[in-house]
Amino acid sequence: MSTPDQGTPPEPAADDLEWRRVHPVTPLVRGWAVVGAALLILGQQSLEGGPRGGLLTLLTGEYWWTLLVALAAVALVGWGYSVLAWRMTTYAIGEETVHLRRGILFRQQRHARLDRLQSVDIRQPLVARFFGLCELTLETAGGTDSGIAIGFLKGSDADELRAELLARAAGLKVARPASGQVGAGAVPAEPGPLPEGTQDAVPAADAVPHPVAGTPAPVSLEAPQVPVLTVPLGRMIASVVRSGAMITLLVWALAVLGVVIGTGEFAVMSASLPAVLGAGGYLFNRITGEFDFRVAISPDGVRLRHGLLETRSQTIPPGRVQAVRLVQSVLWRGRDWWRVQVNVAGYGGDNEDKNSVLLPVGTRDEALTVLSLVLPDLGVDEPRRVLDAGLDGDSRTPSAYVTAPRRTRILDPVAWRRNGFTVTGRALLLRRGRMVKILDVVPHERTQSLGLSQGPWQRRLGVASFQVHSTEGPVHPEAPHLDADDAARLMAEQARRARTARAAAGPERWMERQGE
Amino acid sequence: MTSPFEPHDVTWNRVSPRLVTAMLVPAAVWLGVPAVVGVVLSLTVSPWFWFLAGVPAVLLLWTVLLVPRQVRAIGYAERDDDLLIRKGVMFRSLVVVPYGRMQYVDVEAGPLDRRLGLAKVQLHTASVGTDAQIPGLPPDEAARLRDRLASRGEARLAGL
Repeated sequence: MSTPDQGTPPEPAADDLEWRRVHPVTPLVRGWAVVGAALLILGQQSLEGGPRGGLLTLLTGEYWWTLLVALAAVALVGWGYSVLAWRMTTYAIGEETVHLRRGILFRQQRHARLDRLQSVDIRQPLVARFFGLCELTLETAGGTDSGIAIGFLKGSDADELRAELLARAAGLKVARPASGQVGAGAVPAEPGPLPEGTQDAVPAADAVPHPVAGTPAPVSLEAPQVPVLTVPLGRMIASVVRSGAMITLLVWALAVLGVVIGTGEFAVMSASLPAVLGAGGYLFNRITGEFDFRVAISPDGVRLRHGLLETRSQTIPPGRVQAVRLVQSVLWRGRDWWRVQVNVAGYGGDNEDKNSVLLPVGTRDEALTVLSLVLPDLGVDEPRRVLDAGLDGDSRTPSAYVTAPRRTRILDPVAWRRNGFTVTGRALLLRRGRMVKILDVVPHERTQSLGLSQGPWQRRLGVASFQVHSTEGPVHPEAPHLDADDAARLMAEQARRARTARAAAGPERWMERQGE
Repeated sequence: MTSPFEPHDVTWNRVSPRLVTAMLVPAAVWLGVPAVVGVVLSLTVSPWFWFLAGVPAVLLLWTVLLVPRQVRAIGYAERDDDLLIRKGVMFRSLVVVPYGRMQYVDVEAGPLDRRLGLAKVQLHTASVGTDAQIPGLPPDEAARLRDRLASRGEARLAGL
């Protein structure tokens, strides 16, 4: 899907593509990362300066200005590199593909097929927000780092580009937008050596003279979206306070306090600081990342919008969700709160925590509403009853779930009653866990492969664990300790069901199904 | 009770017994060398080094006993729509990979494998969790399997 290339890459059909540059302020925004990193390292050094006083003595001493010079040099190098990188970065939208060229020494040209598009996200980091710029990321399911990031663009341009990409991916025929309408302006197909000093003039000259005159009123490609729910700030914070990380942090703090009081040694306090900072950082990231979480639905799929410092606006088209997890930690049980996570191809990996949350915290009704947005039809008459049984039922409640046999209580003394699965017309539901309750939902047509495993103890008891392999992400669907016969039957039947469901699945271009 | 690892409509293909050699040679190097060094040291320096010699020696003995059984336990079967791979003696596992889900197929052979006339076929789906590799195939069989999997995958190709 991506073709990393060195040297001068062959450029097929480069003529009919209109290569565009990203916004000229981009290097300024990117350069900040370098300065920020330098400041961070300096800060760390001054903290760890220790007996020599480190940075503090330097700052208060005679040569404090050397520090400023060094910082300025770092900033200059950072920004200079970013300007070069900006010059070399161009992108183009073809009929069915997106192209991106970038890299200074090692040129890289990437083509992504739009029918394989998994999601389109618009990200706005804090620094970019001052300039009203956004970065647009396309995921195409090629594994880690296979996405295409086009950035930075003006906010309205990013929205238009997203709408165009989604419309093309959906199979709608889109009239080619006139030059200068999207992006920072057209650039020549071959980014030749521009005369010094004119880089800024090119997009400006193109954009300023005919912003409205030449182009007809742009047809709105944006699919209308309907807000579904927002997560109130109070509940968001309360949910983090009741999370496992917070409890660990508190217990840890109390233990350290106890030790300090007991022994009178303050060294314990500073020794435990990194752990406290780590947990605190996680909590901070979670609150800022999931701040003001909004869920909406549109014909182009589910729209998520969230973030305090860095805002993210995600679009997951229909049929791109590979698996859904509803999870409830023990302290959320009183309020009946649930968290909904998804596997989307391309979302896994480094940004998994930020991307793969469909609902950070919500009541049971809200969680099930969100589930129904991504999996509208479970293929069962009374979905609510099946889902309720999956959320907090166990083997004592009458339900359609096939549960692990009683003899497995020695393997899983706490949650053996919960382990189980049920099959509906469209999806496989797997439940487990008692302290942390988990319900995984995998649509039959999204099953990648199936696995069965059995250890020596399990063999003695005649049980086996069943796994569904899904794409990379937070959801790892499995049903532990099933009766061997149940497991064998599930394995055989699920392979067959997945096959028939795939054959009947909708097209990759989701808007084409009405036409057929 | 029937074992879930023996579906009734499946005949398993075995891998080459030469895989035992391919697996034992690295083990003999990694465990045998410390054992020999331990023996030499315990004879020359101090009897305490018998412990150093003993641990790798026991591990090596265990490996020598286990590997032939492990190799015999590896099996694969091509069904009409999916490939089955099973392995393991103590910890058994079975993987079902639908042909339409395969993204690509790898064939690998290290220097030792090549000398012994072996190759490893690995299937990749869009999931990193799919652990579908068949070690110890004769190169002809590996090539045949690769082509067959590729053509079947193409015929049943689905998106994600």
